[in-house]
Amino acid sequence: MENQRTVLITGCSSGIGLESAVLMGQKGWRVFATLRDLKKSGPLRGRSRDLPVEILTLDVDDPKSVQKGAAVVLKKAGGLDALVNNAGWGAFGALEDFTDEEIKAQYETNLFGLFRLTRAVLPAMRTRGRGRILNISSVAGKMTFAGVGLYCSSKHAVEALTESLRLELRPFGVEVGMVEPGQFQTRFKDNRRKSQIFQSGRSPYQAVLEKILQYGNGESAKAPGPEVVARTIVKALEDQKMALRYPVGTDARWFPFAQRFLPDGLYDRIVSYTLARFGEARHG
Amino acid sequence: MDKASVALVTGANSGIGLAVTRALAERGWKVYATYRSAKRAQPLRDLAKILPVVPLGMDVDQTASVKKAVRFLAQKEKGRVDFLLNNAGFVMAGFWEDLSDEDLRAQFETNVFGLLRVTREVLPLMRKQGSGKILNVGSVGGLVALPVLGPYSATKFAVRSLTDALRMEGSLFGVEVSELVPSEIQTAVAQNARKAEKALAKDSPYSGFTRDFEKFSLERFKGAAPVEKLVRVVLRALEDHPMKRRYLVKAEDHALYFIKRFLPDFLLEAALASQFPWCKRPSSTIQSGR
Repeated sequence: MENQRTVLITGCSSGIGLESAVLMGQKGWRVFATLRDLKKSGPLRGRSRDLPVEILTLDVDDPKSVQKGAAVVLKKAGGLDALVNNAGWGAFGALEDFTDEEIKAQYETNLFGLFRLTRAVLPAMRTRGRGRILNISSVAGKMTFAGVGLYCSSKHAVEALTESLRLELRPFGVEVGMVEPGQFQTRFKDNRRKSQIFQSGRSPYQAVLEKILQYGNGESAKAPGPEVVARTIVKALEDQKMALRYPVGTDARWFPFAQRFLPDGLYDRIVSYTLARFGEARHG
Repeated sequence: MDKASVALVTGANSGIGLAVTRALAERGWKVYATYRSAKRAQPLRDLAKILPVVPLGMDVDQTASVKKAVRFLAQKEKGRVDFLLNNAGFVMAGFWEDLSDEDLRAQFETNVFGLLRVTREVLPLMRKQGSGKILNVGSVGGLVALPVLGPYSATKFAVRSLTDALRMEGSLFGVEVSELVPSEIQTAVAQNARKAEKALAKDSPYSGFTRDFEKFSLERFKGAAPVEKLVRVVLRALEDHPMKRRYLVKAEDHALYFIKRFLPDFLLEAALASQFPWCKRPSSTIQSGR
């Protein structure tokens, strides 16, 4: 097929990445599905057997791996129509608790890695005069919650990157946008990296953090599956004109809406009331 | 105001940091004022001759340096610190495509990781005393991301988010955290800006955009507010109990905040694009270079 459109998706071993690789394959796209560890490619391999999906290893944390991965895909595909920057994970802990290494690890994947791969495919898209870059941000890119401040800040940074890159590439016909999912049933919860001090039970914020974690896990058990996000990704890539944002999930719509329209003072009071109720765990 | 109050101000040898240091010291605060480069610390040494200011070498990029400086303060003041102004920071300018890994890392190392490093050392002291105020210097660039200032905006978006989280986490221990959101202020921030590795390349496909941007920022800096205006906002924040979530400085910043909050994305984008005519040129007329 000569006119087959091509897409590179990162973080395809599970969740949103896996579902979108499969769905885009079903929609007839030629998919280059990348993941950090080929040993974890089993589920994707199983689901994409008869689909135009190629599985490659690519670690966005590693500049060499990014260079090589991008070069291989660009050569094979002859040109890339879309890049879906999905690889990412969430750190958990109070901001005071994180070590330098923990902070940098979070940014290495969620921001620096995303940027690295984007930069690697950009010249090819620019010279072709078309292409789409879709970053998987999060409701956490618009709102911040206690206990996940580090993750939220990395997603806020992704929002800034997306907004500014979109303007920078406008004259070249390359479109940039993002999907902002709320909570979905993915491996996000299992891939969460808790701060060492929290794991050792010695955080000054221990009791509150445990409450927050418990609450978060309860919410994610009720959440819908990642195929919903995959459908939004396809919509973004197939829309005639790609919008800047595609929020997906009830929470992803309502939380930012509330933040937008509640006065700061009232918003603050609601947040601190909620947190204080969590905080009662310290005494009880 | 309490006479024995102790403040720590980072990046205090010029601009916002220096002005706040002076204003607090004039009002009887003891101010530990940090600088990165001893060569550029003369304004602080001069201030220390006449006011209760303690110049302190500290590179927020270096964990050991931050620890050492805060330990020094804690020893001198028996653990007391009432106010932290996280001000150290700089602007990295350049198109995303022109940015090296090191450029981006350097920008985050100071503006974000450095802020976290200092806060991490100061928070235990404040938690222990059950009080304290932290003001993080954000930017209107943390509300709306502009082309060429993408990396800077990314750090300031992150600061906005970190401030919200620190605000919630600190509130459990009586520590108040807020964001100061300035726009153009008469400081050397533009002159001190660093440029992306390839920003000056002659064959840059973005050169047309660079011209637009220079015009835009020159225009913006014509409206730069005197730093005293910002100092008044900081002093007001110190009197507020509790501190507000964020403090904007100029009327037009409030307008921008309003626009960002309530205007649909596509309208904001159209408004921004109208500031950068190059944005609206059909792609066929742009040489795609390099």
